[in-house]
Amino acid sequence: MKSVGNDIVALNNIDKQRTCQPRFYSKFITPPEQALYSQTGTPFESFVLLLWSVKESAYKYRKRSEAGLVFSPSKIIIQQIEQTNNFENDNFDGTQLANILYKGNVSLGVAKLYFRSIIHNDYIATIVNDDEDFKNVYWGVRLIDKADNENQSTSVRSFVLNKLNSLFLDSELRIEKSSVGYPVLYNGTGLMDIPLSFAHHGNYVAYSLLIYK
Amino acid sequence: MDRKEILIELKKVLTPYTESKEMLDGINEQTDLIKDLKINSANLVDIIIDAEAQYNIEIDFDAAEKMYNVGNCIDVISDKINKPA
Repeated sequence: MKSVGNDIVALNNIDKQRTCQPRFYSKFITPPEQALYSQTGTPFESFVLLLWSVKESAYKYRKRSEAGLVFSPSKIIIQQIEQTNNFENDNFDGTQLANILYKGNVSLGVAKLYFRSIIHNDYIATIVNDDEDFKNVYWGVRLIDKADNENQSTSVRSFVLNKLNSLFLDSELRIEKSSVGYPVLYNGTGLMDIPLSFAHHGNYVAYSLLIYK
Repeated sequence: MDRKEILIELKKVLTPYTESKEMLDGINEQTDLIKDLKINSANLVDIIIDAEAQYNIEIDFDAAEKMYNVGNCIDVISDKINKPA
């Protein structure tokens, strides 16, 4: 089953001091993952939150095909991570300034997924895919004015519909929620086979979507 | 400490992380932290750390992953209170 998964962490909404404490990060980062820190060249709190966002994204990816899946971050293992100068075949809708880019892979049981992450001054955003080539994955990050749940939800829907309306002209696109909780896209009354994933935290919203046909 | 007392204390732990105050007032063991209380998943570890301090217990990550609804949180906390490490 084709899927997508993403996550965003707004850095202004994080307690950086707590993030760096072992009692915090040891709840979801395993000792072999801690050893990856030396390869990242980033402040430790960013490393911790980067791994969190990869794990959350991978969970959302799998949840689409395994409705009963429970988020177990310590069982989602980042195998490899590296900084990169640019992403090949990338469809990112957001500011490209002052971003540090990471890529790598992550395992959940026997499944292996690939990720791309951005560390921006104000947020960390991640997407995952089952292929190292992300040419069919579209993603975006947007700053919003109010951080309440309702505005986050409205804003991320409007953001992704703007993108989709630019790709599918003359369509009547709308988004509903599946019984499991992930977003699904309709054109009129017909279900569209375009997996969507949304994330929000504080004043940032983010989406990823896959167009593979 | 019985389940009702744990629930009262748990509400205090959850308060800073939800804007759904009405839902928080009416929480029961079926309330889902993310779907019902709209708690951001980025705060789940904060809640576990705060619960550890509130109840003077240690919650390892195998237990922590069960804490997605209020009833499961109470199960984990009750178990740790009754079986101190």
